[in-house]
Amino acid sequence: MSDVLLKVINLSKSYQDKNYWFNRKSIIALEPLSFNIMAHKTLAIVGETGSGKSTLAKLLVGAELPTTGHIRLNGQTLAPGNFKQRCQHVRMIFQDSGTTLNPSLTIEQLLDEPLQLNTKLDETERHQLIRETLQKVGLLADHMSFYPHMFSGGQKQRISLARAIILQPQVIILDEALASLDPSLRSQMINLLLDLQQQMGLAFILISHNLGIVRHFSDEMMVLCKGKVLEYGKTTDILQKPKHKYTKKLIMSQRFQLLNH
Amino acid sequence: MNLIDIRNLSIELQTPTKSILAVDHVNLTMKEGEVRGLVGESGSGKSLLAQAIIGVLDEKWVVHVDRFHWRGQDLMRLSADERKAIISKDVAMIFQEPMACLDPTATIGEQLEEAVDTEQLTGFFWQKRQQRKLAAMNLLHKVGIKQHQACVKSFPHQLTDALCQRVMIAMALARRPILLIADEPTAAMESTNQGQIFRLLASLNQLKNMSILLISHDLENVTHWTNTITVMYSGQFVEAGTTEQIFNQPYHPYTRALVDSSPKASRMIPNKSRLMTLPGSIPILQHLPIGCRLGPRCPRAQQKCVHAPKVTNFHDHQVSCHFPLKDSYS
Repeated sequence: MSDVLLKVINLSKSYQDKNYWFNRKSIIALEPLSFNIMAHKTLAIVGETGSGKSTLAKLLVGAELPTTGHIRLNGQTLAPGNFKQRCQHVRMIFQDSGTTLNPSLTIEQLLDEPLQLNTKLDETERHQLIRETLQKVGLLADHMSFYPHMFSGGQKQRISLARAIILQPQVIILDEALASLDPSLRSQMINLLLDLQQQMGLAFILISHNLGIVRHFSDEMMVLCKGKVLEYGKTTDILQKPKHKYTKKLIMSQRFQLLNH
Repeated sequence: MNLIDIRNLSIELQTPTKSILAVDHVNLTMKEGEVRGLVGESGSGKSLLAQAIIGVLDEKWVVHVDRFHWRGQDLMRLSADERKAIISKDVAMIFQEPMACLDPTATIGEQLEEAVDTEQLTGFFWQKRQQRKLAAMNLLHKVGIKQHQACVKSFPHQLTDALCQRVMIAMALARRPILLIADEPTAAMESTNQGQIFRLLASLNQLKNMSILLISHDLENVTHWTNTITVMYSGQFVEAGTTEQIFNQPYHPYTRALVDSSPKASRMIPNKSRLMTLPGSIPILQHLPIGCRLGPRCPRAQQKCVHAPKVTNFHDHQVSCHFPLKDSYS
């Protein structure tokens, strides 16, 4: 338990403005930051729009190349262009799960794609694995031949979770994955994620602006503002004794939800 | 006197094969100067109900209502045109996604001036133009926008979400409504901006005695701002009462589950424990269960639940359930 699963060192991202040849400006989306995550733990990232939290998610998953710094998984450096290695271990779930599923493929074809590209399993093994994964996320094996439009919003979210866990990853990034769900489905989803974390030893990176969920779900949290890390530490410590003015403001704006009258 | 009193409102969707009862005998009463929350998950028919009140549903939706009183006046006895005149004078509505509701090709000033009521203006046309500008500026001041010069000249895409929502509220205020229907005014907004909009609505309620019907899908978000709450599920009336009654002693199993399911409400629960939740998912409109629509998901369901329950009233706390949780609180 004590060994670090994901280690991020001095990761930063800045964009170059390509319009001016001279006096070229660079926009800093994310200032250098470092953090560690252990297995079975959850790190929450909190901030407003434009605070760089989605940039951080993109950097971790490999959709963007970092300007400086590097990411280590189990002590092994994840090379910036090496997608094969990365998409096995780091997976991502997006906010709008309905739109991330290809409407012209059945669920079996959708879940088969990552297996074909990343594993050497034959057809029967893949079929068996898809069946098991669907059961793991609370769907039936019969759902394999369904198309995405036949599912409700909560079930679509489960399918994208199935797609994330089918390669047995170690880290899952939840980019506002719980924000668009209805309250009763959201609590089902939280229960499911917690169960999977227990079973598979996953580490989650939760990007959210709902502090109630963050408090319940995460062990550590990081507050980002305009690309800077304002606070980083245990969730309970930060929510009880916020040091920075911005964190206080954020908590105050949701305090009526946290305090329960 | 009740501001609005609706009894047994049903909305049917006419399809070629059969008609679907999307909203099933819902009651709604509001007093003057009250802020009422209308809470329900997606597909609960809360937006349909709001649209039926202001009368913007098209022909394929058929609305039946037993009683529809507006400030003591029976609207069902009036003709459609008279009804429309009363409603459009006294009721205003704001929507979610303010950016999408504003015209992207016109400036905020032009849109606001269009919304100003012609009856309030006097004099010749050049005087009227001045008055119209002044009225638009005053509206912006009312919703707390101080830099009206910059705001009037800008297009919707140049403003933030919260500012756009303020402009929408300003437009809604142009005819001095008595009731404002806010259909998820803060969906997809930052929590700091949400607070701003809710505070503005609360101050309008206090200063101008304007009643507000606040529609939301999340019970937690609205409890701080409302006096009374009505809960709906899948087109059926679930429970209505004061905010304290609903939040602290819900009588309906569905409301109980809503209150228990969110991690922030019950502070006692340990970190990372399992949350209380209802099994299954929200039924889709084509396959609605008979009787009480919560039936298949309800932990207290029994054979009786295949018949829709009647609304029972306990000291202004109405609940529609065969087996209310009333006895579990002592």
